Amino acid sequence: METTLTHVARTAAQAALLVAAAPLVTGLVQKLKARLQCRRGASVWQPYRDLAKLLRKGTVEADTASPFFRAVPVLVLAATVATTAMLPVLWAPAQPAAVPLGDAILLVALLALARFLLAVGALDAGGAFGGMGASREMTVGLLVEPALMLTVFSVAVSAGTTEVGLLAARRAPLALSWAAPDLLALFAMLILALAETGRIPVDNPDTHLELTMLHEGMLLEHSGPGLACIALATQVKQLVTLTLVAALFLPVGLASDSSPASLAIALGAFAAKVLALAGFLGLVESSYAKLRFFRVPHFLGLGLVCAFLALALRVL
Amino acid sequence: MTVELATRLIDVLGGLLLFTMLLILAAGQVFRAIYAVAAQAAFLGVAGAVLAAATGNVDLWVIAGITVVAKAVLLPWLLIRVVRRVRIAREIEPVIPVHLTLTIAAGIVVLAFHLNASLGPVRQAITGNALPVGVTLILIGVLVMASRRKALVQMVGLFASENGIFFTAMAVSQGMPLIIEIGVILDVVLGALVMGILVLRVRSSVDADIADLESLRG
Repeated sequence: METTLTHVARTAAQAALLVAAAPLVTGLVQKLKARLQCRRGASVWQPYRDLAKLLRKGTVEADTASPFFRAVPVLVLAATVATTAMLPVLWAPAQPAAVPLGDAILLVALLALARFLLAVGALDAGGAFGGMGASREMTVGLLVEPALMLTVFSVAVSAGTTEVGLLAARRAPLALSWAAPDLLALFAMLILALAETGRIPVDNPDTHLELTMLHEGMLLEHSGPGLACIALATQVKQLVTLTLVAALFLPVGLASDSSPASLAIALGAFAAKVLALAGFLGLVESSYAKLRFFRVPHFLGLGLVCAFLALALRVL
Repeated sequence: MTVELATRLIDVLGGLLLFTMLLILAAGQVFRAIYAVAAQAAFLGVAGAVLAAATGNVDLWVIAGITVVAKAVLLPWLLIRVVRRVRIAREIEPVIPVHLTLTIAAGIVVLAFHLNASLGPVRQAITGNALPVGVTLILIGVLVMASRRKALVQMVGLFASENGIFFTAMAVSQGMPLIIEIGVILDVVLGALVMGILVLRVRSSVDADIADLESLRG
């Protein structure tokens, strides 16, 4: 009973931390990009201000939108925030939890659900760009989701569990002794992370040019608090993806108890890992051009093959 | 260097070699394929050095050095020079779509690792896991040669195949004798030179592509 309570409390604390820090990560990536382009850039707190501004605004809806359209942003945010319960941010339990809150399979499924809801919302509003964005996003999802599953399975086979927290705890002792399958899985994961976070070379988060947008196209019909929900969901999804990469491949510094010292180490390690991965996103985004949409399957195909080989090498 | 550490390093380097091979296959531009094969040769040189440190074989140090100098620096530089000189389009022209070659490559890797189980007695202790990687590199190199139209990309495939042969040799013996390795590397350098000059000459005299030669009738 005691352990279940602490497990739930820790999960809630981690989820709160992820949601609260998500806009900051977006702000950091944008700041890094601006500096690399020799601009001063907006403050790293800008995403918080954007969210606050959107929450104050009213909502405008298309005449053709059904009542479901209004529920979409909340559902997307709920599905995305639910994934944060399955990740080890500060704590990695050594024993399986008495009441497991979900594993990597559920995590990927919830991300897919959020993607589906967003696409349905975009189609529901009836805008041409929304439909185009939705169709493209689903095409990308078709390639990303199986590869993500294969990568997770490849790591899960070596740890003998699909629960991400347990997996990180079991792999922590051999954190930096990567074997060949781990390397291939890591490369696959880095390629997928670029797609999952909607960044160049797959998508461009800064553009509203109709020919290039994937994710932004689906947001055009949303406004006010709804748009704020979806923007926050996108930021949380980005941080969840980065945390998943860190949990699968860099499970170091995670705390096993609640002592302040180990918590401080865990927090520092988490910040360092997320900073490094966010730096990777910013660097790639500043040094590559966006791929033509019909070339995106090549790029993601490389990730898919890497993920497949990572699993094949692990099993064979 | 202990045997365990060497085994693990060779294992990791094998993974990196596989990844660079996939990069060569997935590369959409000639330059990227050349950079990828250069990185592959550099990793191969490191693998040779690791094996040399683990076995104390002096020949292997020399071979690793030659590999890095010749295959990671000299030949890529030559290829890039030729690409710049002939000013060909940068896009790779595949005979079959890239995603199809990637699928075939995945099949080749699975096949090589599957066959590995029946090749037990041939393997050495240190570099045992390298055998399927070497076989994979050879076969995918051939796949690159078969599925790309540009002569220069076919050269990249040949280099990758040669890297695979080197890696396989490391897996089944403690490296080949120095004289054989030098002979093989000279062969590749010579091949690259002939190919490079041929591409330049053909290009300057008839402005033709390799694929165009197929329609020649005697």
